[in-house]
Amino acid sequence: MTEAEIKQKLTAIFRSVFDNDSIEISEATTAKDIEGWDSLTHVNLIVAVEKGFKISFTTKEVMALQTAGDLMRLIASRCN
Amino acid sequence: MSFISLEFAVFLALGALVFQLARGPWRRLVLLLLSYAFYLTWNPRQAVLLLGITVAVYYTAKSMEKTASARGRLGFIALAVAGLLLVLVFFKCAGLFARYFPGRAGGNVLADVVAPIGLSYYLFKLMGYLLDVYWEKIPVQRSFVSMALYPAFFPQILSGPIQRAGDFFTQLEKIGNPLPDDIVTGLRRILFGLFKKVVVADHLSAMVDAVHANPAGYSPLELLFGGYCFAFQIYADFSGVTDIAIGIGLLFGIKGPENFNMPFFARNIQEFWRRWHMSLTSWLTDYLFMPLRFSLRGLGAVGLSIAIFVTMLAVGIWHGPRITYAVFGALNGFYMVVSALTLKKRNDYFQKRPLLARLRVFAGPLLTFHLMVVALILFRANSLPSAWVYLTHIIPGFQSAGISTFRFDRALLHTRQVALLLAGLSYAAMESVNWASRQNVWAARFSSAPWFVRWTAYYVVILIIACSAQETRTFIYAQF
Repeated sequence: MTEAEIKQKLTAIFRSVFDNDSIEISEATTAKDIEGWDSLTHVNLIVAVEKGFKISFTTKEVMALQTAGDLMRLIASRCN
Repeated sequence: MSFISLEFAVFLALGALVFQLARGPWRRLVLLLLSYAFYLTWNPRQAVLLLGITVAVYYTAKSMEKTASARGRLGFIALAVAGLLLVLVFFKCAGLFARYFPGRAGGNVLADVVAPIGLSYYLFKLMGYLLDVYWEKIPVQRSFVSMALYPAFFPQILSGPIQRAGDFFTQLEKIGNPLPDDIVTGLRRILFGLFKKVVVADHLSAMVDAVHANPAGYSPLELLFGGYCFAFQIYADFSGVTDIAIGIGLLFGIKGPENFNMPFFARNIQEFWRRWHMSLTSWLTDYLFMPLRFSLRGLGAVGLSIAIFVTMLAVGIWHGPRITYAVFGALNGFYMVVSALTLKKRNDYFQKRPLLARLRVFAGPLLTFHLMVVALILFRANSLPSAWVYLTHIIPGFQSAGISTFRFDRALLHTRQVALLLAGLSYAAMESVNWASRQNVWAARFSSAPWFVRWTAYYVVILIIACSAQETRTFIYAQF
């Protein structure tokens, strides 16, 4: 998968999890930038990403995530 | 030496002066020496323990970094966290163990074990540091002076707030002489903290102590009133010491994290816990709730409920091995699970009913506050049976014979009308200042007011503190 494809698919997942069609994500996007992205919904997001990309993460990988960019790189390392 | 003492005022003034004179890396060393000097005034033996644990954590992080295999690193972190937890459990539970096994070998030795000052705060800081290094969120700290200063930093060692390692080390790297603005803000925070503690909290304590000493002897109205008063007391007490800690930190160029954000205005329980003892709850969210929630993600709502419940139970038990704290945690766990599982449904329900939604704006905070008053009665109670008596007698019809439901005997409550009025007014003043300081307009207005207006305000506050000072009690959160 290319970087652009990952970003497109991830954006769709963000929009569906946070129930907001206007969400745009970038390298630097963090939980502060998206309404409703808190400790409770974070795992929903991760589960949706795992299902959407048919991959699975370890606890350590998830805990290290700080930005949407980190998440995109992690997905890329798994899908390619 | 307590924060509220003449010795500490002298220590602080001298310390700030020496810090101003120090240059470059010497500033960190001065802070470290001040922190250990402060800790030594409490207990020299406990300072040795603090230093020992710091050395162990310092080298564990370094060795973990050098370990190439993922399994080896996992081994390091698991051993280190287990070790730190063991230290915590040992010191906190030694007394309990000695009471249940009197006369057994070691029982008498255990009975003499005293939990070190600030243990729960500094162990959580160090555990967080190691986990952040393990998760590669922050680099390993190479400077031993910085590493040793982090857990020992004297403004935060008695009652927190629990500052994160990354935040602390980043500020420490570029530490310089504090800006004049920071010094003014710092001194203002200290003054405000003293006001909360000495004027608000201490005036509520006599009555809270009275109702909890014998809940069966009071009317439902008096017990309800005592419940409110404890909620206000612990809030004023704990947020007061946090203000003092943050204020002192600012005098030394370190901004500590906030612990409270007007929690009694929270619209639901989840929001309450995002606004109350924030440095502890956010710590537990990151290092306990998230990993647990993630590991249990296959279980859906059941996994979520388990993760929330365990986290809230940990919030309770963090205060110490008392059954009342555990039940306080469990009750909040129950509140949180119900709230989390129904929040979306509730929001949908009220979205379709605009009239009820308007009512919810007031009813939400009121209900949340009362749920917390009940939980805090458990927290404060002298024992679980005593809490039971309190909570049943608060319901009209359960009171002891001869006590009318609406009796309100001020003499019995150890409170004079004028003291009550003062506590009420000062609480309102405290929350108003809390609110105003969050509005940039008001904060700027005060800062740009003529000097005599500001200084009159400071002197009035100092005068009120001086006039209302009684025998000062220790901070509630200094025991944890």
